[in-house]
Amino acid sequence: MDFIDYYKVLGVDKKASTDQIKKAYRKLARKYHPDLNPNDKEAEKNFKQVNEANEVLSDPEKRKKYDEYGKDWQHAEEFEKAKRSRAQQGRQGDYSGYTYSHSGGSAQDFSDFFESMFGGASGFGSRGQKVRYRGQDYNAQLQLSLIDVYATQKQTLTVNGKNIRLTIPAGIEDGQTIKIKGHGGPGIEGGPAGDLYITFSIVNNTAFKRDGANLYKTVQVPLVKAVLGGEIQVETLTGKVKLKVAPGTDNGTKVKLKGKGLPKYKKEGQFGDLYLTYIVKIPKTLTKEQKSLFESLAKTNLE
Amino acid sequence: MKKENYISIKTFCERHGVGESFVYSMYEYEILQVEQEKDDGMLHIEDLPLLEKMVRLHNELDINLEGLQAIYHLLGQVESLQQEVASLKRKLDTLK
Repeated sequence: MDFIDYYKVLGVDKKASTDQIKKAYRKLARKYHPDLNPNDKEAEKNFKQVNEANEVLSDPEKRKKYDEYGKDWQHAEEFEKAKRSRAQQGRQGDYSGYTYSHSGGSAQDFSDFFESMFGGASGFGSRGQKVRYRGQDYNAQLQLSLIDVYATQKQTLTVNGKNIRLTIPAGIEDGQTIKIKGHGGPGIEGGPAGDLYITFSIVNNTAFKRDGANLYKTVQVPLVKAVLGGEIQVETLTGKVKLKVAPGTDNGTKVKLKGKGLPKYKKEGQFGDLYLTYIVKIPKTLTKEQKSLFESLAKTNLE
Repeated sequence: MKKENYISIKTFCERHGVGESFVYSMYEYEILQVEQEKDDGMLHIEDLPLLEKMVRLHNELDINLEGLQAIYHLLGQVESLQQEVASLKRKLDTLK
């Protein structure tokens, strides 16, 4: 566990006054506040650091403790001991397959360093917690494979001990967020509950590229078949299909297989297309006989 | 107007420690809707996350009302640009 220099985080002098600290905090908070930096993990990380530094330096008692211990940081055993004996509290939940965290407002999870010194988020007053009416929104991340996207999925998630039955419509996009109304934190004194936001991350370990409901793939066509025409077998998401290659097929020819893409999101029965790009495969090693046939071909002045 | 979907401006302001004029300014700046129920101004609960965000920015970061209006519009643009970038990235990926 590394020592965190909170003065450095806020960019203030060790002798800075409360006012200077407040000013420095506000300046940095305006830069990194999550409300001003949507979907920016880096800003969120910075905001947490700035918030934590402010939590310590703006509180005279905590600042004093920090200043005292900070001097002797090389003798950190005391902290380690304290850390081991203290139960970890107030951390964000981690569930199999997905993670969730609270969002909106001040970040309230702190570094190990902070927790070892001040005992975690529950170890001090509710200064950072705002009076709320509506419950907190929760964010969760769920991973699916591209194959899963082909059919509507039903999954059960457990968030804060409550089971939520979830229907994930086929054709969901990578990075798409679904709002589950009322499954966030409870409201306060009759206020409405927050919402649960689930962001999907689609892992594509197939040979297909995806754009919306359309799929793209390059397919190799043997030289002879490209010249004379013939039949090739192509793997689609749902199985193999046989395709006719026209005589004189160019390298880079594009072929559309209608309806062989992914289902269109929330449009039942409609599918995207599969676009194939033919790459003519040039044979690299020839037998003696093949080579002589090519030489005969060359003599015909074929261009 | 379904009552369970609305909360009175008065209640909201009491809970959040802001003056009612704050909410009416947000209405004036077309950031949210206000409905009238007899003499009470009412907020749709769908607007609460946005309004709470504005309260946070105002209280925690000292941003004044004009600043909030500007932020509201810029955030809208940031979000639509982020979506556009994501969609362009996906398209670009198909060409690789």
